[in-house]
Amino acid sequence: MNYMPGTASLIEDIDKKHLVLLRDGRTLIGILRSIDQFANLVLHQTVERIHVGKKFGDIPRGIFVVRGENVVLLGEVDLDKEYDQILQRVSIEEILEEQRTEQQAKQESERLKLQAVKERGLSIPKADTLDDF
Amino acid sequence: MGDSEHPEKTGESVPDASWPENGDQWSDKGEEEDDECELLQEMAEEDEEIDLYNEETFGLDEATSGDNPAADPMDLLLLCSDNSPTPQSSPPPPPISPSPHSSHSPSRPGSRVWPHTPTGRPQRGRAGRGQLFDDPAVVKTVEGRPSLKSLDSAIVDCSLSSYWEDLNSNTWMMAPQKSSRPPVASILQDQAIVGVIDRSRHGRVPPVSPNFLSPMRPFSTSRGRRGPPFVGSFNQRCHYQPGGFLSPSRPPLSTPMPHTPKLMHLQFGTDSPRPAPFYSPSTNIMQGFRAPGPVAQFHPQHKRLLSQRQQRPHRKPVSWDPYSQIMTDKEKEWIIRLQMIQLQSKNPHLDDYYYQEYYQRIEAKLAEEEILGDRLKKEPPKLTTPYVTKALSYIPVVHIEGSLGQVAVSTCFSPRRAIDAVHANTSDEHRDTRRQRLEVLSTIEKLYIVLLEVEEANKMKATVSDKDEERRLMQNIKRKVDQLYNELRCTNLLDSGEEFISCLLISKGKSMLARLLPFLSPDASLHILSVVTKNLPVLMSKDTDEALPVLYPSLRAVIDRLAFSQLIRNLKEFTATLPDSKDTRLTLACQNKFGLSLLYALLSQGERLLSSDLPMEPSIGDFETWTDTVFHVARQLSQTTLVEPLLLPSNLLTLFCRYLDKRTVHQLKNNMESATGYLAVAS
Repeated sequence: MNYMPGTASLIEDIDKKHLVLLRDGRTLIGILRSIDQFANLVLHQTVERIHVGKKFGDIPRGIFVVRGENVVLLGEVDLDKEYDQILQRVSIEEILEEQRTEQQAKQESERLKLQAVKERGLSIPKADTLDDF
Repeated sequence: MGDSEHPEKTGESVPDASWPENGDQWSDKGEEEDDECELLQEMAEEDEEIDLYNEETFGLDEATSGDNPAADPMDLLLLCSDNSPTPQSSPPPPPISPSPHSSHSPSRPGSRVWPHTPTGRPQRGRAGRGQLFDDPAVVKTVEGRPSLKSLDSAIVDCSLSSYWEDLNSNTWMMAPQKSSRPPVASILQDQAIVGVIDRSRHGRVPPVSPNFLSPMRPFSTSRGRRGPPFVGSFNQRCHYQPGGFLSPSRPPLSTPMPHTPKLMHLQFGTDSPRPAPFYSPSTNIMQGFRAPGPVAQFHPQHKRLLSQRQQRPHRKPVSWDPYSQIMTDKEKEWIIRLQMIQLQSKNPHLDDYYYQEYYQRIEAKLAEEEILGDRLKKEPPKLTTPYVTKALSYIPVVHIEGSLGQVAVSTCFSPRRAIDAVHANTSDEHRDTRRQRLEVLSTIEKLYIVLLEVEEANKMKATVSDKDEERRLMQNIKRKVDQLYNELRCTNLLDSGEEFISCLLISKGKSMLARLLPFLSPDASLHILSVVTKNLPVLMSKDTDEALPVLYPSLRAVIDRLAFSQLIRNLKEFTATLPDSKDTRLTLACQNKFGLSLLYALLSQGERLLSSDLPMEPSIGDFETWTDTVFHVARQLSQTTLVEPLLLPSNLLTLFCRYLDKRTVHQLKNNMESATGYLAVAS
């Protein structure tokens, strides 16, 4: 039943499994149970999925209440296609380890870049001072 | 009440002091729960219905099952107090199913101890209870009955015992109501109390605190031990589905789902505080039940109530997903309504342009398909939002006659009026110009709305079929266009006497004129063209934003409609020397994209006119001027480096070929090509 044709409404997404991308970069997968006018979400049986390269790991989180403004996007998960993917599922420890490694590598490359830039007398403004909007 | 509990219970007693001692805790929490009162009232009404039924059913039972004082839950409280339950002659209707009581009827309710009641109070009946609850803290707790009930229904996930830590046990007990209703009835319906009863039945010693909830903690384990939890609000179950007592084979749903939409609405209302998942005491109570006995036969009214209440939640098969109805239809409707309100608008085509456009295209496509194929036209669902009446305009400034100054009016748009500060002026020489620029800019911005209306009306004119309507629209358009024209021409900057210049010097003004030009009469548009041409140097030099090209398309359209003599007049401007410099507009134009493009456009139009078969009505001397201009232009173009024009008309070289020798043409061609980067195609 189409409650509001022509609009973007989450009403029809209730009780369906969704993937939610948050502004801080986290990916949550859970069943959307409740919404409100600000698109605050209540996710049930939520799992935080961490992706590193072609691997991913799930951390079960339980119930999430997400403030609407922190959502980048969300979309329904096709249960048929969900398991039909190229990505390889690994254990939580492994994925966290991979994430750590990736973070370190990124930091290292950033450091080198900054050093190279400094040597040439340039300067790049740090992004962390900027607002994340 | 289980018999087994009694031996354990007899010995225990809650010291009198403990309960009132912690009363201050309760009162502290009391104030927080005031806002729940309305919700609770609703639930109270509902409960009254239930009570009526129960009284009929269970009151009878009580009469029949003589020494079953447990039938009166009220007794439970006092049982502990005096350890000698006596049947109530006029018991307040027990909120919970008396079936447990009746099932334990051969019981020693007397020996059952209500751990939380002060001991040593022999009185039964209201007086006794009144005494019991004279303690204001106690009263508060009791009055919190509805909140408990709501929480009871609000069970989210009982399976996670970790939630117990989070529970603020005080909150759900503390829901004081402003009314000073006798707590009597409430007590009976107080789930917590019932729960404690149940607890006591299970032999768990409740901690000596009014904190009902913490004793609940063991419930989780008990539940696990006892089997499938009881789904749904305890109250409901007790009243409506005693059958549930009999069927522990109910799927072990960890979250009792509220049944009634009303309750759900209450529990998820915006102003109802919800603690973390709360384990319902109902489960334990249920688990302790034996055969419901007399309750197995539903009262017909009860049956009706049941069916009514149960119809609504079951929209789609939800048996596989126990959490599926967390959000009720009522809540969904509420959100939809809210979103609809946000979509209301006076002019949907303006406010919701993309949706309207999209829908129109869909309709057009469908209409087309309908014509082509003979299929049934499926009306795509359209969101129709009601038009709103214009909101009363607010007056931000209220000036009372005879008063000095203004009264600050707070509205939702301007909650705090800013003080009218006089800002210090910058340097004098810039101030005037800047201020005037700002004035012009503000005029332009106000006129933009008029322009938008013109465009809107124009669009509607194309779609509307009614002749009168069309005429009216046209009049409307014309009126507005005139208004725009007059306003724009009048805006004069201090140092320019020319019309339109002030708005042409501002980028917004340029784009506005560009949009206005199609609506203007030929004379008016010609006038603007001549103004532009005459003031080209000024415009070009002051065009820091490079916004001039925005005028090109509209001016091109104007040029294309020019007659020869008009064209000549405009072209003459190019070759005439400027009053204050040696350059001609021509030389300057060569360095400016817009200028050059304008020149090319003019030349192209001339060429088109000449080469076409249409009769021209040249004035005297036109052709000479034309030839002169062409030569002049050609010379200039071949000598100076040119910038890339916006558009290079294809017939320019033809024109030059006609008048100039091959060498010059070749040179010209090279020059122009080098600027544009593509060939100026010669026909």
